[in-house]
Amino acid sequence: MTAGGVRGATAAGAGGPPSVRPRPGGLRLVRLHAASRRIPAAATAIVACAIGLRIALAVGSWDSYGALQLPLVFEAGAAAVITVTTASPLGEPERVTGRWLPFLRLATTLALTVAAAGALAAAGTGAHLAGGALDVLRNVAGMTGIGLLCAAALGGGLAWIGPVGYLVAGAYALYTQWHGPVLATPWLWPARPPHDPGAAICAGVVFAVGLAVITVRGARDPAGE
Amino acid sequence: MTAGAAAASRPVPARPGRWPAAGRLLRLELRHNAMLWLLPVAAALFWLTTYRKVMAMPPLWNLRAPAMQPGALLAFVLPVAGAAAWTGSREGRRRTTDLVTIAARPRWARLLAAWAATTCWALVGYLGCVAVLYGVTARQATWGGPLWWPVAVAAASLPALSALGFAAGTLAPGRFTAPLAAIGAFFVLALSTQLIHGSQSYWQISPVVTKPWDIGPDAGMATFYSYLPDLPIAQVMFLAGLTVAVMGALALPGGPGGTWLRRPAAAITAAGLLAAGTAVALAGTGKLDAHGMIAIPALHDAASDRPVRYTPVCSHARVPVCLNPAYAGYLPATAAALAPVLTEVAGLPGAPARVSQAAATYRQGAGNSVSIGLAGPAISGSPPVFHLLLLDQLPGPTMTTGALAGALRSSTGPAIVADVIGGGRSPSPAQRAVIAALLIAAGQPVHGPPPGSPPAGREPGMAPPVLAPGSPAFAAARRFAALPAPARHAWLVRHIAALRAGQVTLAQLP
Repeated sequence: MTAGGVRGATAAGAGGPPSVRPRPGGLRLVRLHAASRRIPAAATAIVACAIGLRIALAVGSWDSYGALQLPLVFEAGAAAVITVTTASPLGEPERVTGRWLPFLRLATTLALTVAAAGALAAAGTGAHLAGGALDVLRNVAGMTGIGLLCAAALGGGLAWIGPVGYLVAGAYALYTQWHGPVLATPWLWPARPPHDPGAAICAGVVFAVGLAVITVRGARDPAGE
Repeated sequence: MTAGAAAASRPVPARPGRWPAAGRLLRLELRHNAMLWLLPVAAALFWLTTYRKVMAMPPLWNLRAPAMQPGALLAFVLPVAGAAAWTGSREGRRRTTDLVTIAARPRWARLLAAWAATTCWALVGYLGCVAVLYGVTARQATWGGPLWWPVAVAAASLPALSALGFAAGTLAPGRFTAPLAAIGAFFVLALSTQLIHGSQSYWQISPVVTKPWDIGPDAGMATFYSYLPDLPIAQVMFLAGLTVAVMGALALPGGPGGTWLRRPAAAITAAGLLAAGTAVALAGTGKLDAHGMIAIPALHDAASDRPVRYTPVCSHARVPVCLNPAYAGYLPATAAALAPVLTEVAGLPGAPARVSQAAATYRQGAGNSVSIGLAGPAISGSPPVFHLLLLDQLPGPTMTTGALAGALRSSTGPAIVADVIGGGRSPSPAQRAVIAALLIAAGQPVHGPPPGSPPAGREPGMAPPVLAPGSPAFAAARRFAALPAPARHAWLVRHIAALRAGQVTLAQLP
């Protein structure tokens, strides 16, 4: 993004001088916000995750462990990508520029989460996707929520630590279904069946809290990153 | 600029003898490295995925150490690869590449310091976790000592993972590089084992492999024979070669002040690739040996095939039960479980004078299947010794002492009696009746497995004879079991030879 672009974005976001052409200005604001958060690159990465999952499902002959853990790896990848988009290259100055920023953060995060769940579920169409689309939606939402909370606590750049760390815990919880001691807590939702209400509630709560925090406060970004 | 600022910007002369320049650079990197902040995450994952699992196993070094290796690796792979990629992409993310190009040190030296700092912190965290796990195990284990090869393989994996992540971050700097590199490393490490088919697989070079793949926790290996270093040597060689190759490749692009590095860097990269390739080829020649480990002919030391010397721990009974001291914790339950049956057969011709734990013998089956059993007959030697295979020596979920005792009663007990009475797999009616009678006298059911006994297929002995209530054999068994123990014993002493030869009929039983 150029400095001119940033200035344009912040001016429009601040709502300072009234916009002569509100619709194109709003669109420009959205476009600049998306560019500043690397949304196109994130969307590309999410599509790459979906393609990777599709190829892995089509090519590999996975045993029980592999078939269960495979979608989780790609779901974690997509969730990590979404959470990293919360990092702002502008830092503190951006927060004082206008009232639209929280809505932009909410919209981009929601849109990417829906896109990720949809892309990964679509990748499993016609193949044996363990857990199905419901599992994908729950896992992507839950891990994205963890990442959003990490973004608020650690910064957007390091927000990937949450989903990535949770991937190991979730994969291990799946493993304990064969080799104990069993981890059956709903907070480790990847190991629960897709229709398990407790796991869905836990994942949903984490996503909702993460989304609320990131919408209101944004990621904690040091100016240098 | 003020005079003060000018004075402040003057380079500080190096104090000779304190820290060389490379050391100062490393110290700076150590203080600001992302891996330091990821250590709590790695430690938490280690506790969740490895420490809990390993501590739930019996305190046997041969069980816990190999289980620690893949667990620790999977706990550390994401933090290490992610932190390394994050560190490697630092200059690109902060757009300071041009700025630091004018630094006195070549680019490769700076990169090496950043990689070394990440690796150092990863190793510190890993070794701390291992120290706790091994320390607790050392206090609990009754015999043997720590196995260091699993520690070495996992330790050698961390520089390699760090190098791969670092290279990804350096070559493709960006905010998405770190998570994608971390997840890619996890994917390769965790799911590459899907490609292993049999013991002669090149994929055994994966550092998460410690033994024949897919057989689960295996307490039977590395107790009676030493832990074979063949596969670990190949794995360490592969990991070291990979690390050297990746770090050498980072110097190839050169840059200002770094062109003189290209030739040695190319040589280092080639040497690393050669070592890694050789190690993969060696892993492909691996073969499951009789003691349950992967032997690689080119790396194999014949001295490793000698049995480990030990003094067995024995119960103090007329027919003592002797176990490997590593299994000393099982002795009271094992002796108590077998005592009733051993009392019934003690003193009979051909009856065991001792029950001794034996080593399991492994044979590769189709694909990843492995058959495990005794090498020879259950009873052999003079005086006769019954060779016992504890259930926990077989792959599968770890059993509690109570479950183990129950399984011994229901499978090893009948096996001891059947070996004394004879008849093999198809005993005569009289032999079946006597076997059943002795089991009834020992307090065991003979009309079906006891409730809660483990599923058939894992028992190293044999299932108890099932006699239909009301059948002539059942009636004869009840009648023989009802005799006073001395009378039963005296009849058996007189007729055991004829009974073993199948020359006694049901009607001749008292």
